[in-house]
Amino acid sequence: MSTAVEQRLFELWETPKTLKGLLSTVDHKQIGKRYIATAMVFLLIGGIEALIMRIQLARPDQSILGPETYNQIFTMHGMTMIFWYASPILSGFGVYLVPLMIGSRDMAFPRFNAFTYWTYLLSGVLLYISPFMGQSPHGGWFAYVPYTTVPFSPGWGMDFYNTSLLLLTISTTGGAINFIVTILRLRASGMAVSKMPLFLYSTLTVSFVTVFALPSLTAANIFLELDRRWGTHFFDVAHGGNVVLWQHLFWFFGHPWVYIIFLPATGMISLIVPVFSRRPIVGYAYVAVSTVLTGIVGFGVWVHHMFAIGEGHMGMSFFSAASMTISIFTIVQVWAWLATIWKGHPVLTTAMHFAIGFIALIVVGGLSGVVTAVIPVDWQMTDTYFVVSHIHYVLVGANMMPVFAAFYYWLPKMTGRMLDEKLGKISFWIMFVGFNLAFFPMHLLGVLGMPRRIYTYKAGLGWDGINMLITVGAFILAFGILLSLINFFWSLKNGRLAGRNPWNADTLEWSTESPPAPYGSVHIPTVVTRHPLWDEHEEEDDPKGERVLDQDRLTLSSTWLDAETFSLSRMPEDTILPLLLAIGFFVLFIALTFQWYWVALGCVVYSLAVAAIWFWPKPQEGELA
Amino acid sequence: MNPVLIDKPSPTTQAPPPVRRVDNKRGTWGMAFFIATEACLFLAMFFAYYYTDKSSSQWRSEIPPKLHYSLPMLAVLLISSAVLYWGEQQVKKERYAAGRLALIGTIILGVGFLVLTYFEDMEHLQHLTPRTDSYGSIFYAITSLHGAHVLFGLLMLTWVLVMPRWEPALYTPHRPYHNVAMYWHFVDTVWIFIVALLYVAPNLYNYA
Repeated sequence: MSTAVEQRLFELWETPKTLKGLLSTVDHKQIGKRYIATAMVFLLIGGIEALIMRIQLARPDQSILGPETYNQIFTMHGMTMIFWYASPILSGFGVYLVPLMIGSRDMAFPRFNAFTYWTYLLSGVLLYISPFMGQSPHGGWFAYVPYTTVPFSPGWGMDFYNTSLLLLTISTTGGAINFIVTILRLRASGMAVSKMPLFLYSTLTVSFVTVFALPSLTAANIFLELDRRWGTHFFDVAHGGNVVLWQHLFWFFGHPWVYIIFLPATGMISLIVPVFSRRPIVGYAYVAVSTVLTGIVGFGVWVHHMFAIGEGHMGMSFFSAASMTISIFTIVQVWAWLATIWKGHPVLTTAMHFAIGFIALIVVGGLSGVVTAVIPVDWQMTDTYFVVSHIHYVLVGANMMPVFAAFYYWLPKMTGRMLDEKLGKISFWIMFVGFNLAFFPMHLLGVLGMPRRIYTYKAGLGWDGINMLITVGAFILAFGILLSLINFFWSLKNGRLAGRNPWNADTLEWSTESPPAPYGSVHIPTVVTRHPLWDEHEEEDDPKGERVLDQDRLTLSSTWLDAETFSLSRMPEDTILPLLLAIGFFVLFIALTFQWYWVALGCVVYSLAVAAIWFWPKPQEGELA
Repeated sequence: MNPVLIDKPSPTTQAPPPVRRVDNKRGTWGMAFFIATEACLFLAMFFAYYYTDKSSSQWRSEIPPKLHYSLPMLAVLLISSAVLYWGEQQVKKERYAAGRLALIGTIILGVGFLVLTYFEDMEHLQHLTPRTDSYGSIFYAITSLHGAHVLFGLLMLTWVLVMPRWEPALYTPHRPYHNVAMYWHFVDTVWIFIVALLYVAPNLYNYA
């Protein structure tokens, strides 16, 4: 390949390694890596919070933490893990991988992509201002009213809860819209919906779910903040309000959110398992349809979080049935993975270890979920450690395990260096054992009646030994995670060079160099089957150089169903405007937290001005005819 | 109408791209999904309205909202949408002066809507405020949110009005007129629902 072409493309697409370049890049690869790194930092912070709680609960009658501190820590742990780690880490992999996987040179809205990253980061910063004031949110991650209204929760804690979530919602919704338009419009020629990698199905599904579910949380946050600081009565029973309204609004968002955290991870597994089973996935169409159906039916199960509030029987039966139905779609995927392994020739790499570990854990978590979908059982188990165990099996098992599988699988693509397989497998086994030691006994603890969210307990209730065991397990799990992080930093310098396709995988991202050049591939690829790198077709075959597109920062757009190339997309240059706009939003939401309304108004004017500059037409220099 | 690319001189001698049309609809799709998520926000608020209605002992204890402002306001917005639609058709035919005139008309009508909102609120607030009860809270939350959308829409319309070009282009913004018009029609649609559900429907109930 002529290096002149590569040189020209490089000049068009590279971001200079200067401070300005760092702050203004719109390269999806850099932004994706930032998402992943930031989310990992939040994982560590949330993990440390969990360990502090486990130290407190290791033995009965301890007073390392007071009740108020404990409330703040478990709330921050939940918020950090659910909102600032679990979903953004998947967005990070998506932002990095989706354009490479579809053979595009960037996301559909590269500048907006930078903006959603900055708002994600700054919303986390906003949340973590609160511990330094000693006033973190303390109402649990679902913040039920009336406890979270001013009479019961004075101070700024719950205001931080509202404003940081509102800011994060802007980021998440924006990111979702970006994914939708990217996947529907920028796929490589020939990658019809019947040939998309399954990770794209899951990312697309959760992006739609995000667009439709998150406004419910936004409404809830707005109502709560108005009730707290403006004297309104949305949740004030004395003035005709209704506290259950909060629960409906929150869980109408909250349950789809569980799938937002879960589905992209299954999409990753649906790519990793076939590659290491050395065969295509069994039941591609069934897995794809199950993914979409999980997203849709996920909107019809939210009341199962509220079985204990005394809704009507008819309604509860419906939601109970829907909750059991949704497990069918997960089971379809589980069988597809198992059948793929069964029919293939499995290679037990570290990534495959994590993938199989995930399958085991999701089955346990899914079963405890089906159990709690049964109303009488739920009445018995709700707000006990049984539910804590369930949520951790499905969130840690179904999110963290696939994420670590993805680490060992895709980091060589991002860094160009392989991670150490031996240390990786040791790390997996320590994590797997630690995880089960920490969370399996919680089932028993729940059955024995230990409520969640208590900061200590009396000795002699039969909980002492189990709690100590759980704490030991939590530290073992943390040690396993630490080993993987050490492995990562070690590999940056010492890892074996990865080359283009170290796993002999089938999807398009492996056709680029490791790490990929700023422009991705020299020729925009074409696709004829579901497994571009396993078939005879040469995806970068382009003898005339029509698909190089080195006239400008260009990529190709295609039709959404059949992915036929029909037009040229011109991508924007690096710009600092996304960061400036994100800072405007950040200060705006700080001002809203503390009711500095003049500052807020100033921020709105500033943000509008930045947005107006952002969308102002560039001078035209005769590129049109 | 479809803009095509003229090849810029470049150091390499590559063949021209396989297609010559310019993709100018990414922004339109982005706006469509932005509107979808905004619509869901209003849906959540309407849900809150009806849910509280069904479960509250203290719901809308006094007279239903009057129609003598809200219906003219509806007329103003509907006319503005029609004017903007006409303007968009003119822009498609490259009659930019007519398009600009339609924009100015839309903006004037939009400002008129906000002025009417002011008078409506001044009158309404005398017997119902957001702090009266849950009904007042939800009522004003929905109408204020809509008012903010009208204001935001007006700012975007003004921004398109002062833009130096609307022609189809390789560079962003590709179709500012069309995208902002979509948003404006959405804002108008929301007002139809607000008038129907929050203003007209309560007047049809029988208050004993």
